[in-house]
Amino acid sequence: MFFEHDPQDVTRILFQNFPTWMAVRFYLIGAAACVVFAYGVWTNIRKYRRGVRSGAWSPFWPRVWQMVATVLTHRTIKRRAEAAGRSHSWIFYGFAALFVGTSIITLEHDILEPLTGLTFWYGWFYLAFSAVLDLAGVALIAGLIYMMYRRKLLALPRLDYTRPDRSPGDPDYDRSGYRREDWAFLWTLIAIAFTGFLLEASRLVWLQGDAVVWDYRWFSPVGTTTAYLMKALGLGPDGAAELRLGLWWFHGMLALLFIALVPYTKVKHIFTAMGSLMARDTEAKRRMPTANVDGERIGYSVLTDFTDKYLLNLDACTKCGRCHEACPANASGYPLSPRDLVLSLRELANDTLSHAAMPKGPITVSGDGVNMIRSETLWSCRTCAACVEICPVGIEHLPMIVQMRRALIEDGDFDPMLQLTLKSLQKSGNALGESKRKRPRWTKNLDFEIKDARTQPVDVLWYVGDYASFDPRSQKVTIAFAKILHAAGIDFGILYEDEQTAGNDVRRVGEEGLFQALAAANIELLNSCEFSSMVTTDPHTYNTIRNEYPEFGGNYLIEHASAMLERLIREGRIPTPVNLNYRVTYHDPCHLGRINDGAEPPRQVLRRLGVDLVELRRIRENSFCCGAGGGRIWLADPPAMKKPAELRAAEAAEIAGLDVLVVNCPKCLNMMEDGVKGSGNEGKFRVMELIELVQEAMGLIGDTTSDDGDNVLREAGAPA
Amino acid sequence: MKIMVAVKQVAFLDDEFEIRDDGRDVGEDFFEKDLNEFDHFSVEQAMLIKEAAGGDAEVVIVIVGDEDADDALRTALAKGADRGIRVWDDALAEADGIAVAKVLAKLVEREKPDMVFTGAQSADFGSAVTGMALAGFLGWPHAAVVSNLDYASGARTATLRRELEGGLEEIMTIRCPAVLSIQLGINQPRYASLRGIKQAKQKPVDELSLDDLGLSAAEVAPASRVRRMYAPERGKAELITGSAAEQAARLAEIIKELRGM
Repeated sequence: MFFEHDPQDVTRILFQNFPTWMAVRFYLIGAAACVVFAYGVWTNIRKYRRGVRSGAWSPFWPRVWQMVATVLTHRTIKRRAEAAGRSHSWIFYGFAALFVGTSIITLEHDILEPLTGLTFWYGWFYLAFSAVLDLAGVALIAGLIYMMYRRKLLALPRLDYTRPDRSPGDPDYDRSGYRREDWAFLWTLIAIAFTGFLLEASRLVWLQGDAVVWDYRWFSPVGTTTAYLMKALGLGPDGAAELRLGLWWFHGMLALLFIALVPYTKVKHIFTAMGSLMARDTEAKRRMPTANVDGERIGYSVLTDFTDKYLLNLDACTKCGRCHEACPANASGYPLSPRDLVLSLRELANDTLSHAAMPKGPITVSGDGVNMIRSETLWSCRTCAACVEICPVGIEHLPMIVQMRRALIEDGDFDPMLQLTLKSLQKSGNALGESKRKRPRWTKNLDFEIKDARTQPVDVLWYVGDYASFDPRSQKVTIAFAKILHAAGIDFGILYEDEQTAGNDVRRVGEEGLFQALAAANIELLNSCEFSSMVTTDPHTYNTIRNEYPEFGGNYLIEHASAMLERLIREGRIPTPVNLNYRVTYHDPCHLGRINDGAEPPRQVLRRLGVDLVELRRIRENSFCCGAGGGRIWLADPPAMKKPAELRAAEAAEIAGLDVLVVNCPKCLNMMEDGVKGSGNEGKFRVMELIELVQEAMGLIGDTTSDDGDNVLREAGAPA
Repeated sequence: MKIMVAVKQVAFLDDEFEIRDDGRDVGEDFFEKDLNEFDHFSVEQAMLIKEAAGGDAEVVIVIVGDEDADDALRTALAKGADRGIRVWDDALAEADGIAVAKVLAKLVEREKPDMVFTGAQSADFGSAVTGMALAGFLGWPHAAVVSNLDYASGARTATLRRELEGGLEEIMTIRCPAVLSIQLGINQPRYASLRGIKQAKQKPVDELSLDDLGLSAAEVAPASRVRRMYAPERGKAELITGSAAEQAARLAEIIKELRGM
């Protein structure tokens, strides 16, 4: 069909019928838009560079590829928002194609042709280009319409920026400015797309007599359909010529305005999200940043303590609200929303670091002022990492919170109850105010002796942990685990009086000096022992020994008890003759399921015990924290407030005929038992540790220690 | 302007313990040591005065004890005190509150503070005597168990409140310099982070002997001596429930048991 014409003629003549002054004016305005854009980019970069250099973008190329893969697949954007993720990909690919298309035209017309005379935007390439860009426009509009529908009609709570921890009248109460910006963004982009199609259509009507244009019209299907509509409405070539000129300018100006405003509006997320994803630290949820405890100051007390990466993180936030929804503190009515924390810091950075000159004094971050982070906000965090895990753009809220807590600890800005715990930890290495000598007392309830790993070599060194050692309820589980290991013929030992808390919660509460002292002492002790691997029933201990000790010279092979049990059952070393006829559900501990990819082994164990496992609504990496983490187990929840564990217990109670809520962490056990009572579900189902179910399936219940053991236990475990 | 705060390292007993072979104290293995609870409050009070004066006051922590007591001293220094003094001599091994007060009196002569704080008592022996004995040796005004204090750095008098028996409180004005023993709850002591305690190692600490203070071993000989320490046999209690007849029957049973019938 084509080659009635010279392929060179099948193209679009740029600035067709424009007087020279008009084209010149366009170029001048275009250049001005680019200058405004570049200035905005520079002020943003200057803002980030006012933070501490992190080096988070190296190694550069591997990080680029990783980021490109994440962006192209939309992997993180689709999580827990499938439809929005899909629509975003239409907008993204539509916008990207249109942007690349425009760039190709610029490349030919303004660079290659003037310099080398080379042209390629004609013939088949031009026609394919037209078709692809028409499709891209459709995708863009469809995606934008869905987003408008989502904002207006779905009215998702996660998109409501109103802050439960502020009152009406507070300047940062509902952030209505953000809402207006969201809509301005959607309308501007959709107007650019629509006027693009109208412009294309009016050009076709105008040039309908020109065969090199009209004969190939169906390569622009949307434009051509619109052109027929215009014709049907009585538009002739002359009127179309005028309309085309008007639309050309309107579309062009809107597009240039959009470009100029990119660095000053939410549109900047195109770049900031990519930069943030590139800098993402995959260990951020496992390992808190190491601080120099001998330095002048510690933690983040002023905004310039933040690294350039975190400052970029703040600008990358798209307010998608996934963290707001996932946060257990927020869900229970505590004054913390990870999103609001990020947005407050962003506004603080915009107010203070965006200008040519820096403010005179230090930019304090913690306090009660507008856009400052209140200390009760920081103390609400359970360090469950749900925010870090779900953030589609790689924002690392948790290390920022821990860094700010470090400064609060140093200033003494915290609940006096915590002081008692920290003093107990300083004095005797446990959080429960118990003496060192009491730590191994639970072993007295066994009818065999556990090896002392300090003095004799063992195959498996069991790091018992604080709650498992001292908490009367957890001691039963600890004893059960000892009996299981004994029955399985494992050569194991413990550290007796010399074990101290591994320090996971100490570090997350912000007492970095104490954490490092505990880590050093524990590592020194462990390095003096002979063992081939370690095990612990406490996911917090597991996380810290596995992920945080290597940095301090402690490299050990450590398993969580559930993984070890799964292995022993699979290898036939633990016979489970008793079939358990329970309907159970399983609560993933944050530090196992979400933070350390340990969601599968406990489920495998349950499958082998014959129980009927019904899953909770929020499982695995989306598990809902029991509320214990980050030192919160040491602090009382105000009686008027819901506890995260109560919400979780209510979730479990939705399961009809539930017999047992299975937990897999001493702290979860403690919290969930309270949560079941507090939510009015006492007596409806029991809370049991996975280890207790295994013990029951092994038929170990009822021998030597069950009844006597309990009595002795009660005495041993009574508060001093 | 200078405030001197005398602190003590006290022992916390484990709930299972053994008495030393000589029967005069608990075996060393059975307690953990820490800064006296009351001293957290006296140090805090000094720090509040220093801070209210815009830092224009020196807080000196003094302690009588061996090297082991450095931990307690550093905890106090980590709260923001300026420097420390530790006095030790083997002759002080069995020092009682009076002997310690003699040492402290020499330190006061040496340092010439404008105010001296002690804790109301020590958490382990609880004699509550050191502060008042010190005031006695010095001939200074004194007040014990102070639960509220209004004193500005360098002022000639201080106004304070004390809790008395029977729920009474008294408010008094005292001429300075004075010795005040500080009650729990007078303030909210700040936390000394472990990092702060480590960094407090950089702060100057004078280590003095009895000689340095011009004291002889005889002068600090304790006025009292522990003869024996033991855990008294525990009494028993039982709540008797049931009808009057059942209660009477159980009571009779217990009486028979106790009388060995």
